[in-house]
Amino acid sequence: MIERTQALWVIYLSLGVALLTMLLPLPMEWRILRPDFVALALFYWVLALPNRVGVATAFGVGMAQDLIEGAPLGISCFGLMLATLVLLFNYQRIRQFDGMQQSLVMLALMILSSGIEGWLRTGVDLPTLPLTGLLGLAISMLCWIPTRHVCRQLRRHYGVV
Amino acid sequence: MLFLFRDDPRVAAVQRGAIDGVAFATSLMLAPVDAWDRLGNVFQTRSSLQEEVLRLQQENRVLKGQSQRLASLLSENARYKALLNSARDIGDDLIAAQITSLSPDPARHIVMLDKGVSDGVADGQPVLGAEGLIGQVTSSGNRNSRAVLITDSAHAVPVQVNRSGLRAIAEGSGSIDRLIIRHLPATTDIRVGDLLVTSGLGGRFPSGYPVARVTEVIILEGDAFATVFAAPSSLLDRGRYVLVVMWGDLQREVAP
Repeated sequence: MIERTQALWVIYLSLGVALLTMLLPLPMEWRILRPDFVALALFYWVLALPNRVGVATAFGVGMAQDLIEGAPLGISCFGLMLATLVLLFNYQRIRQFDGMQQSLVMLALMILSSGIEGWLRTGVDLPTLPLTGLLGLAISMLCWIPTRHVCRQLRRHYGVV
Repeated sequence: MLFLFRDDPRVAAVQRGAIDGVAFATSLMLAPVDAWDRLGNVFQTRSSLQEEVLRLQQENRVLKGQSQRLASLLSENARYKALLNSARDIGDDLIAAQITSLSPDPARHIVMLDKGVSDGVADGQPVLGAEGLIGQVTSSGNRNSRAVLITDSAHAVPVQVNRSGLRAIAEGSGSIDRLIIRHLPATTDIRVGDLLVTSGLGGRFPSGYPVARVTEVIILEGDAFATVFAAPSSLLDRGRYVLVVMWGDLQREVAP
């Protein structure tokens, strides 16, 4: 059966807004605590519509993120793509979890993707996050439930399929 | 995958374009803050403005006095240089720029400047703050550019101790108020309070600009090397106005 797509722009708009939150001005030492809405929004859409959002979207999001940060292009793609792949293999199980359990899964996925990014950065001699970066990931984890709520409302309101 | 294409001019063009795009998006995000600032300016009182004018006039007088001496010193210096047959010109052209935002990447100290290629900014040009060197331009878009600060942990600047002429390399530490000098012999003459200036070695930075002041010298007994910490002369996380030095042959050397 061929499904018709509907309101796909909502997905890309929400990812774009998530990318914009990266640009919110923060003091230098506080940037580390910024929640990673980009990864959260991406993971939400993968979980909700795995037939629409997958590894290719993760690649695009990673590229956009690198362009915004001025990092070498593609350095955050690989981690996001791998985390997306893990999510794609397990989405049916993870959908059954309650909010807190899902948050923990998201934390694990973000540790995976940022770990791989850090690994690649070490490979090209770029500075990596100190251990306090985990604090930022923990804050991102707490933002999973609100992000899921907002994205879910958007998805239902516009009937994204 | 993109590792293979990292030197491709088309990729570089996309990155350049992205700089302007990001700057525009940032200005959108900053719009509420800017509007608030402007509102504050409108309601600034007359007396506070007068005070400000007085203060600036005073400062200007002091600076003028200092620059009188500077002019004579410069000419004296030029005569000496002529005597020594070294023909490097002294005056550097400066572009005034403004820091518009920080890079969202928390591991790095990268700032966005509001001047780009169309204003004469090119990759590799040094960036000065009010009290000394603060960084260098790493990539430039048409109207905006990115500069990496000297405290970024991927950055290092060749310096010279002003008092003794000792040369060293000051590396960024990743924390905003600290530079590190490693691999100085433990018997070196370097003290807390010494001023570090750019040495001009390596050809990237012009010589003589202040960089940092030594805050701590650690010599462990039995170690062959000392570890020296220094605090940047300019407060890197304060102040918005910087100067980009249009310096020498850098454009030809660095730009693709």
